[in-house]
Amino acid sequence: MTDSIWPVAQFDPVRRLRVIAATTPGASIHEIVVGAPLESVWDVAADLEGELPLWLFPDIRSIKVTTPTADSERLVARARGHSGLRARFDVVLRPGWCLMQSRFLLGGMAATEEDGATRFALLGGFCGPLRLLAPAIRPISARLGDRALIRFAERVGQRPR
Amino acid sequence: MEQSESIDRDPQLVRTLVCAAQAGDKLAVGDLLDLVTPYVRRLCGPIALDEGADATQETLIMIFRNLGQLRAPEALFGWVRTVAVREAVRIAKRRGAHAELTELPAPGDPQLAVDVADVLRRLSPEHRAILLLREVEGIDEQHAAELLSVAVGTAKSRLSRARNSFRKEWRS
Repeated sequence: MTDSIWPVAQFDPVRRLRVIAATTPGASIHEIVVGAPLESVWDVAADLEGELPLWLFPDIRSIKVTTPTADSERLVARARGHSGLRARFDVVLRPGWCLMQSRFLLGGMAATEEDGATRFALLGGFCGPLRLLAPAIRPISARLGDRALIRFAERVGQRPR
Repeated sequence: MEQSESIDRDPQLVRTLVCAAQAGDKLAVGDLLDLVTPYVRRLCGPIALDEGADATQETLIMIFRNLGQLRAPEALFGWVRTVAVREAVRIAKRRGAHAELTELPAPGDPQLAVDVADVLRRLSPEHRAILLLREVEGIDEQHAAELLSVAVGTAKSRLSRARNSFRKEWRS
């Protein structure tokens, strides 16, 4: 009986994002099952410059992404909002997984296959002192998250397969 | 997403990531998840079986919720093992009854891995935990007893029963 024949527990990126959400004060996670293959869903999610401003939050005007190191999974994203908001995010982006962190904001996306469709999860939260605001604006952020997921599913549906 | 065992246990990397994660760096939390998740999956799988994904998720939540209390980063994997085994036993016991064993292949059969899982399914969660700790983790009865919060004599008797059950099912 060797180590390799012992069963290994399943685990997927959406569960992983739930762990981040459950252990980050002020963070919230929203999930949706999209009737499309994982690759199609992640094509939309991973397009931070082209797609993210179209579905995430209406205030986002543009996102510019650079790869400052040789590590292709480590990116920097600079977001600009119609309201004047500017934020620089350190990003980890890989198939099925994205985590973005700025000085005050935390964002995440994850996707996994589920019964022929794709479960997609979106995480939002605050870092640093702003996390103290999270309980007060939780109802608003919940609505924003749900609406963002609806727009996301629409964007996936509009992509040619 | 997961890295090799040799990278997993690099003490300097573990120390750096634990300190950064304790300071609130969520990207460091992500990197630390890369390091500990494969180990947690290997511990939770044989104990929690079909509930392995839930056990892994609950273990990781418990670990990262309490990471600030970890004073010695070099103790991370020992602590992870304790939490994972206890959570896996708790969640497996929640499930209740075990399925019946049907038939085993001969040793070396390509289906062996599947059938080892079937044999484990016939054991209680505590027996699976004792067996895993001794046979895979190489932990003696004293430490197994401490980890499962039972007396040393109880751990020894559980190990004996687990081994006997395993041999009996294996040969049936």
